Formats: sequence, C-alpha cells, structure tokens
Amino acid sequence: MRSLRPFLLPGLLAVGSLFLASIATAGAPAGDPASGHGALQVSQATPTPEVPLESAPPLPTPITHRGDASSTGCVDCHSKVDNKQAGIADDWRASIHGKEGVGCADCHGGDPTSDEITVGMAQAAGFQGVPDREVTVGLCGSCHANAERMRPYQVATDQYSKYFSSVHGQRLLTANDDRVAICTDCHGSHGVKPASDPTAAVYPLNVPALCASCHADATKMESYGIPTDQYDLYKVSVHGVQLLEAQDLRAPTCASCHGSHAAKPPRSDEVVAVCGNCHTATQALYEESAHSRLERVGPKCWTCHGTHDVSEPNESLFLHEGGVPEYVCATCHSPTDQSLRLEMDRFEDPGDRRCDTCHHERSLIYSQVEAIAGAIGGARTAYDTALLRIDDAASLGMIVADADVAAQEAKTELIKARAAVHTTKLTTISELTDATVAKAGAAEALANAKLADSDFRRQAMVVVIALIALNVLVLIGLRRRLHAQA
Amino acid sequence: MTVDVQRNESPGGLLGWVDTRLHLGPFINALLHVRIPRDAKTFYLGGITLFLFGIQVVTGTLLALYYRPTPDAAYESVLSITSDVQFGWLIRSVHHWAANLMLVFLVLHLLRIFAQAAYKYPREITWIVGGGLLLITIGFGFTGYLLPWDQRAYWATVVGTEIAGGVPLIGSSLLLLLRGGAEVSEATLGRFFGIHVLVLPLLLAGLLALHLLFVHQQGLANPKRAEPRPGRVTAQQPPEKLKPFFPDYILDEVIAWYAVLAGLVILASLFPAGLEPKADPLVTPEHIKPEWYFLAVYQLLKLVPETVGVVAPVILVTIIVLLPLLDRNQEIRPRRRPIAILLALILLVGMAVLTYFGGR
Repeated sequence: MRSLRPFLLPGLLAVGSLFLASIATAGAPAGDPASGHGALQVSQATPTPEVPLESAPPLPTPITHRGDASSTGCVDCHSKVDNKQAGIADDWRASIHGKEGVGCADCHGGDPTSDEITVGMAQAAGFQGVPDREVTVGLCGSCHANAERMRPYQVATDQYSKYFSSVHGQRLLTANDDRVAICTDCHGSHGVKPASDPTAAVYPLNVPALCASCHADATKMESYGIPTDQYDLYKVSVHGVQLLEAQDLRAPTCASCHGSHAAKPPRSDEVVAVCGNCHTATQALYEESAHSRLERVGPKCWTCHGTHDVSEPNESLFLHEGGVPEYVCATCHSPTDQSLRLEMDRFEDPGDRRCDTCHHERSLIYSQVEAIAGAIGGARTAYDTALLRIDDAASLGMIVADADVAAQEAKTELIKARAAVHTTKLTTISELTDATVAKAGAAEALANAKLADSDFRRQAMVVVIALIALNVLVLIGLRRRLHAQA
Repeated sequence: MTVDVQRNESPGGLLGWVDTRLHLGPFINALLHVRIPRDAKTFYLGGITLFLFGIQVVTGTLLALYYRPTPDAAYESVLSITSDVQFGWLIRSVHHWAANLMLVFLVLHLLRIFAQAAYKYPREITWIVGGGLLLITIGFGFTGYLLPWDQRAYWATVVGTEIAGGVPLIGSSLLLLLRGGAEVSEATLGRFFGIHVLVLPLLLAGLLALHLLFVHQQGLANPKRAEPRPGRVTAQQPPEKLKPFFPDYILDEVIAWYAVLAGLVILASLFPAGLEPKADPLVTPEHIKPEWYFLAVYQLLKLVPETVGVVAPVILVTIIVLLPLLDRNQEIRPRRRPIAILLALILLVGMAVLTYFGGR
C-alpha cells in the first residue's frame, strides 16, 4: 500500500478540505445527531465473499466385530512382540478408551476373541489395520458424533461436523491434503486422555504448545504460506503469560479464539464477539462507540491490541510517541473511491497501533483523542501519586489500611475510565477520570495525614527523650550527693 | 515511697495516720534497708525485666479495654486501637516492643547469673523459679502473637502449634489442647486471649513474688566469693564490703529503667507495631516465619527429623531450668568452670547461627 502513496497524496490534497470535513464529522461526539451514518462516505462494500463450506461426508457406521473390550486376543500377542507394541498396549489400558471399554477392534476391526493371527487379523473378520488419515476422522466420528453412543459420557457430539467446518477439515475435504491436523494429531491414538487430564496434550495449559508443534514449524507451514511466529508472540503476550506462567486456566488458549475442532481464524466482523466472550463489559462499551457504528470499516479489538501479541494496554496506545506519524491516506480511505476502509497491514507493527495512525493531527477527533489521553494520564498520575504517598507512610510503619481502601476505590474508577475509552466518548471518560482523581486525592489526603502523624510522633519522641534525660540528670545529681555524703 | 522509715515514731499527716494503724514501718524497713555486696554486679538486668513486666501490665490492661477476642472483631479492634484510639498506637507499640525487650533482658539476666555462678548454693530454688518465669514469658509471647489476628499472627500460630503437635506421644493431644480444635480458629483465639491476660499474668505474679522473696532472703550474690556451705571449713576471708540497697542501688536501677524507657519510646515512635492483612485461613502466605525467639527451633526443624527438632529444645530447656541440680561443681570463678562456660558458649553460638539462618 505504501507504494501508492506518491500518487495518492497529490490527488488527495486536491480534495483535502472535503476529506477533513468528513473526518471531522466522523469525529463528532456520539449522541450528536449530526454524526449519523448518512454524513459519512462509508464504504460498506461487502468483504471477500465467503467460500461456501464443503459439507461433511456422511458419517460412517461404527466397525462391528466379534467380542468386546474384555476380549484380550490382540493384547495377548501384541504386548509380546516388542517394546513398542507393549507400550501401545500400556497406553491403551491407561487411556479413556481402555477404561471405558473401547477396544482395539473398535478402530482396527478384526476378531479380538481369537489368539490366532490368521483369524484375529483376517480380512474376513473385518481387520482394517492402521486406518488411513483420511478415514480416521470418520472412524472417530462414527462413535463420537453418535448422540446415543455418547450419552453415558455426557460429552459433546458435534466435533465431527465442527471439524469439517474448520480450515483443517475443509483442506482435507477439498484438497485431499492429509497433512492437516486430524483427531489423532491432537488427542493421540492409543493413549487418548480426556481434556480435563493435566497430562493430556489437549489440556488447556498444553494447548498452545500442541498447536505450535505444527504451526511454529516453518517446514510444515511453508507450503501454506502462513506465519509461524504466533506461538512466540503469544508466549509473551498478556494472555500467554497468564496461561503459561501463572497457570491461570481462565486465560485464553489458541482454541479460545480460533476454536478447537472448528479451528479457523476469526473474521474481522467476528473478532469483537470473540474477544467479548471473555471481555464482556469491554465489548458492551465498544458497541456504544463511533468505531462500532462504522461496522466493517471501523477499528476492531485487534486494530489497537493486536492478535497473538496482545500486551498490557496503557496510555501509550493513544498517540505516537515523538510526534505525529507519517499519515497514509490509504490506511483509512479506498484509493479508488476515497470511501472509508481499514488497511489492516498498517497495524502490523505494535508501534502503529495508535489512534493517530488514522486520526489526522488536524482533525477534531485528534484533539478529542488528546483530551482523552490527557484525562486518562491525569487520572493515572493522581492514582500513582496516592500510591507513592501511601508507600511512604507504610515505610514509616504507619497503618495505612484506610488509605489502601480509598486507593482501591480510585483504582476501580481508573479501571472503569480506561475501559470507557472503548466508548470513544470524552464526556463519559472524563466523568470517570474526574472520579478517579477525586478518590485518589482522598487516598492521598489520608496518606498525608499519616505522614503528618508520623512527623508528630518523631517530634513528640524528641520531647519525651529530653524529659527522660532531664530526669536522669536529676537522679545522677542525687547520686553524686549521696556518694559525697558517704 | 517517701516514708521516712528510719524514724521509730510514726510520721505525722496521712502517712502517720496509716502507720499508727498498720505499723508498716518495720516491714518496709526490712524490705528496703538491706545491705548488698559492694562487688555485686547485676547490671540491673533482673530489675529492668521487672520494670518491663510492669509496663506490660499497664499497657496490656489499656489494650484489653478495646480489644475484642473473636475472629470477627479482633483484627478490626486492633486496627481501631492503632488508628483511631488516642495514643492507641503508642500503647500498642510500647506493648509490642516491651514484650521483645522483656525477653531480651530476661535472657541477659539469666546469662549474668550463669556467668557469675549465682545459681549455685544457696540460690538453686531461685534459679529454678526464674526458669519458670522464662517459660511463662515465652508463653506470653506465643499467646500474645496470635491476638492481632492478622496473616502473620494466624500462620505463625498454625506453624507454632504444629511444632507442639510434633512432641512424641502427647503431640496430637497437645495440638488439640492448644488449638481447641483441629484448626486455629475462634476457640484458639479465645483460649490464647484467656491464657495471655489471666492465666499467665497470675502465674507470673505468683512466681515473681517467690523469686523476689528468695532474692530478698538470700541477698545478692557476690561474684568474687562463694557462699560458705554448712559443715564445710572455709578459709578465713576479710569481711565482705557492703553497701545499702536503698537508696544507692535503687537509684542506679531507676536510672537504668529510664534508659530502657527512652529506648522503648524511640523504638515505638520510629518502628511502630504494624498490622498485616486480616487472617485468612484459605490464603497461605509465601513465607511464614515465627517470632525471632522461635527462629532457632524453626530452623532446627528444617535440618533434623521432626521428633528430634521438637524434643531437643524441650530437653535443653529442662536442662537449663534444672541446671543447679545438675551442675555440682562448687567453683564460681568462670576460669575454673571451663566445661560449663564452653558448653554455654557453644549453645549460644549454635542458637545465634540457627536464628540467623532461620530469619533469612
């Protein structure tokens, strides 16, 4: 897009005034009737049309065979073949399948009641050997998509249909590409463990590494032309640190945003709902905003916060440091008809995820952003100052419980004010930052009172010590007189 | 104490009015007008410990006026004493620091007596009673520590009572007795408060009265000459140089008390007693440490099996209390008691090292 700049700039200068007017209108505070959609040249052109999904193949019927999981014909022999085979038998016994009566023949066919290789592994007995990758999903689905079969276990039965809606499943179907992830790649084959088992690869804490085992592998991803840095970015993001380091299971794994069986990157118009799954209150605030009303062309969560590399948000997200950026018209305007749009590539660099990447410094909205940044920054400073004073008082041994409570109230207001930034409404934000400053001021006043009290104690101490010294001097005098008499 | 006790006839005024009725003159005479060896060196340690106990009684009584011994109210009442009550912070801080200093001076007093061999004939019982006073003082520390009901208090008590639970045979019963249940709870707080403000003060007052009575009866020990034992021929010695207890010694003692009081005021002003977050049985702090005087035992428990770590201090304390009965050496000069002095030094260094590493 940057290559278009030399051509775009002169052209746009010609109609600059017209644009500034439209930008200014877009920036008018919400609630202003003049800022309705009608005044905007918003490109509501539909995005690239969705390719219709190839529907899932018909569900195969489960393999039928003689005997049941208590039939030990297979294990009797295979556990004696070699260590690898013995390991497979052990894995199966420890697996959820082994415990719930799903035996070898349920996936491999054959006759597990026979100890004879010619009988047990005979094609006549329905022996199928190792299932091909293409048929594995159907094989798993033959039981797992069967509501009646799954009823005793109270587990979902939609994995089969979800899988074929995923990028993985669609590629398997449409391109016959069997390198995509299938059931056994994530769940294992013989040693399938429930997702609630912390040693399972699909346990939430292990999911990022599981996905990364393919997606961070440049060789595996080469032919798909997709990036491989997601895991590295995720690991140091707020989400990754919370999940992997703090072991907080509330933090999102890859599957929380992409889905697991239905794995697919969220679309631009889905992302607010995806993030809103957890950040419910923030989503509600965003939906009040001018950004939200721009629908497809408006900035979404990831425009400012990124995707895999979400970091702790702070005031630096408002404006570029050290002056305004190089504005690129094409960031927000279609080069062809100058309607509004959003060029996502412009926000790849975390340093460009700023309000002024779009909002020109001469626009009304820019001054509004400055006002919001100032209000939030001021509230933050007031809160930090209160904390410093409380720390000062605490380090002098003063009990600061009441000041801590007041600071906590200020923090609550600050959190609310920072969240309210998503509304883009200066008045809403200012009310909350004003409340933060007032409550932080109350906390600081309490801390200052403690500091004054501490000063008083020290001064009083000097007086008391002086009085004691005076008493001691008198006693020493008495003592001298006593000794002189003796 | 301005009664002119040297006059035989009762004084006039109110004091005279009382004396003509109670005839206290001779009693006070006997109490005050004793003579002590000029060579006696007490460093005023016992007297300072007594003074600090007095401070604890006064400040403790004031604290008890506001303190409420239930888990719901204890923390808030201590917070209120420290933040709202006029000079409450001072009273609580002085109580806190005087408790620590009382233990320090008690141990210094014990070491002085040991170094001067003043626990030997005829003062064996005085030492044993003193041992009882030491145990009661530690008991004061242990029970008082829980009362603020903050995180540190709660978890130090959890650990402390668990240590007691490690005593062989009676451990589990002892644990139940101390806690009043399986966990440190309302029952524990109630009994610790009762023990701290009623049982221990009465016990301490009783033993202290005995201790002082014995000291009065025997007079102060002279570190330069052993007491002649009955039935033994001792070499003729020049007469012992004496000085009056009152007012000479008392005057010096009061000056020492003033010095300690000044120290207390400085400590309480510069390092007031703090308060951690309220006790929460569901949130175990990362580092739980007992009070400094339990750190040696705490560290020992990390190094040796639990039974050894619990039994060893019990045996040690028993040996210390019963020392006069075990140490039959009649010699009082430190140079002639190398084994006793060496053992004491090893014990002191060992405890200091354990305390240091326990506190890290």
